[in-house]
Amino acid sequence: MNAFLCTDNLCRHFGGVMATNRLCIEFEKTGLRSIIGPNGAGKTTFINIITGRIPASSGKVHFQGAEITNKPTHELVKLGICRTFQITSIFNNLTVFENVRIAKQANSGGSLRIFSTKKSLKKVACDTWVILERLGLKDLAGLPAKNMSYGDQRILEVAIALAGDPEILFLDEPTAGMSPAETKHISDLIKGLSKEISIVLVEHDMDMVMRISDKITVLHYGSIIAEGAPEEIRTNQLVREAYLGKDT
Amino acid sequence: MPDSHTSLSPLKLIGLVVLFIALALLPFVWGNRFYISLITEIMIYGLLAMSLDVLLGYTGLLSFMHNAYLGIGAYVVGLFLIHVSPTSLWLACLVGVVFTGLVALPVGWIQVRTGGLAFALLTLAFGMMFYTIVWKWYGLTGGDDGLMGVPSPDIQLFGWSVGNTGNPAHMYLLTLFVVAIALILTRRIISSPFGAVLEAIRENEERAAFVGINVRRYKLFGWMLACVLAGTAGALYILCKGYIGPVTMSAFAGAGVLMMVLLGGLGTLWGPIVGAGIFIYIQDYISTMTEHWEIFLGIVVIFLVLFMPTGFVGLGNFFKRLRKD
Repeated sequence: MNAFLCTDNLCRHFGGVMATNRLCIEFEKTGLRSIIGPNGAGKTTFINIITGRIPASSGKVHFQGAEITNKPTHELVKLGICRTFQITSIFNNLTVFENVRIAKQANSGGSLRIFSTKKSLKKVACDTWVILERLGLKDLAGLPAKNMSYGDQRILEVAIALAGDPEILFLDEPTAGMSPAETKHISDLIKGLSKEISIVLVEHDMDMVMRISDKITVLHYGSIIAEGAPEEIRTNQLVREAYLGKDT
Repeated sequence: MPDSHTSLSPLKLIGLVVLFIALALLPFVWGNRFYISLITEIMIYGLLAMSLDVLLGYTGLLSFMHNAYLGIGAYVVGLFLIHVSPTSLWLACLVGVVFTGLVALPVGWIQVRTGGLAFALLTLAFGMMFYTIVWKWYGLTGGDDGLMGVPSPDIQLFGWSVGNTGNPAHMYLLTLFVVAIALILTRRIISSPFGAVLEAIRENEERAAFVGINVRRYKLFGWMLACVLAGTAGALYILCKGYIGPVTMSAFAGAGVLMMVLLGGLGTLWGPIVGAGIFIYIQDYISTMTEHWEIFLGIVVIFLVLFMPTGFVGLGNFFKRLRKD
């Protein structure tokens, strides 16, 4: 188990359906891994198990040499395993700044200081500005999150995830419902991040996946049917069949 | 800093200080014992409603029977004064508040494993258990006769007699000070980094867990804060009334506390105190005319909820909009 993060025969069934079927996937310390597959292939289930949203039926997850299977979410975040959701999940009535700050604060401590003001955590505020700046949200800092455009909300969710200082970041369809310009912005951002940390991308936008991924894993009915560089996946016969059906 | 909460402007601060001084001077210029006692009761229920606001307005957890913890605090303080020491007022209050916390801890530990409707139902289940215990344990609590014989004239504070048979002005001032301090402390806690965590949980429990917050633990902290404040209100209640019956701990009374919070305005701390004032005043006013006051109070509340959905606090915004148009 020398991989940065790896799964060992990870299974999850819902009733009789094997959503995740004995998956063994290894992730590297940096780089951009995409997980693709037709609807219902088990992509989201797979990252839900790793990030502690749902328990595994069997199998194990190892992170930096330690087993982390079925640990509580907040402990996984402390280890550096962060994520975004397919359906935008942010703090609607808090400002953009507060959204990112609470994520930062949760990881830097100070949450139990009941008699100091929120502003007293200077380092937290400082780091929050750095993240907002990097993601281009600085001008929106004072806006309640619910008043942002949909695309900006998706970016805010990435900002919240980044505030957890992730070592590995799972992005579940970050560009779903975004305009081409917004998609370009976020894919450049993701590509940039993948130079520093490990990024795992679940995405339906094939152009984007083929353009920015370092490695692609293709799932079908909960199992891996192909893994490799974008070029290999593009020409892989099994992948074509999974998406388009068999030639008759 | 772009926070949604702004700190108090100097003008507002001066206004609040003036309001406090005016309230403190009130019993000296207005000798009506009945109304002084009524305002005392409003402040006590205001404290209870404010403590429920910590839970409902800031942590996003609904407690149907928060009055149960006022009741526990009140019974324990009363029992301590009757059976242990009729003169140790501070000790009695301390024991009452600590005991309330000790009861709330295991209850909260179980409740925070759930959220939303399940949490609310559990508060109802535990509240009804406490109600039944108090009602049926005749030997200790006096059952449905209530707890009688709390030694009021002996309750002394700096030479003041604060019991229900003492000078109502003294009880009024004690209550005013305690409630003001509780309000300031709670506001402080809510605007701390800890308060930010509670708000994050209210906004989105799952996201809160996924930024690294131990949601159950912080929900328990919020619950404990709310219950300890309710216990404090209970200590004031028994001193003020000299009596408590199981009705105070009933689900019916619990709904009343919830109405106070909603009438006043959620998530403001001071709103529910105003709500308690509206609720208790209407209740008092209508009950002088008919003994079926609940029916008419119900009608008034229905109208208030329909036309003032954000509570009394929402009126400010309403008038602001009017002025703009």
